[in-house]
Amino acid sequence: MIELLCFAALYVLLALLCLVRVSKGPSVVDRAVAADSVDVLLDVALVLFALYSGRGIYLDIAIVTAIVGFLGMVWVARYLEGRM
Amino acid sequence: MVLRIISDVFVAVGAFFALAGVVGLLRMPDAYTRMQSSTNIVTLGLLGAVIGGLLHAIGVVVEGNPTLGWTQFVKIAIVGFFAILTNPIAAHSICKAAYKHGVRPDKDFACDKYGEDEFDE
Repeated sequence: MIELLCFAALYVLLALLCLVRVSKGPSVVDRAVAADSVDVLLDVALVLFALYSGRGIYLDIAIVTAIVGFLGMVWVARYLEGRM
Repeated sequence: MVLRIISDVFVAVGAFFALAGVVGLLRMPDAYTRMQSSTNIVTLGLLGAVIGGLLHAIGVVVEGNPTLGWTQFVKIAIVGFFAILTNPIAAHSICKAAYKHGVRPDKDFACDKYGEDEFDE
């Protein structure tokens, strides 16, 4: 079971690496894409941690994170296109 | 036990592709190639981990805890299905928004059909 925790820690580490791109990305599109990647990686980390701990509440949080991340990405895109 | 090993292999493959995607996100030269690399994170990184999680949940069912196992199975399937369904839409819309916002690649486009269409109108 401990290997799931190790993989979840690896995914969180990758999400922290994505924050480097969020902080220094030259354009706003780079920042939005990197923030969406952080969202997806933390999603996977939540799934793996839910399997490790055997509690379902983390999976609910993962579903909500996926939906909200998609909505935020589409809203940023519409704003950049000038349709909002 | 065999199911556990197979699910760990899937999660490891997903972690490898997520690592490759993050390295690409940090080192690629311009915005469009970085978008391509972040799509790699979702399709292979998330899908590998989700398939591994589904096999792990089936393993929980086999080991004699069917309620917890099936709950985990359905919820992980919802996460994977939703991510695979929505991420191409988000990537397409952010790519079009980047073009309209004025983001250009390092070297100029070899072929710019979208710009020609905009110019014709």
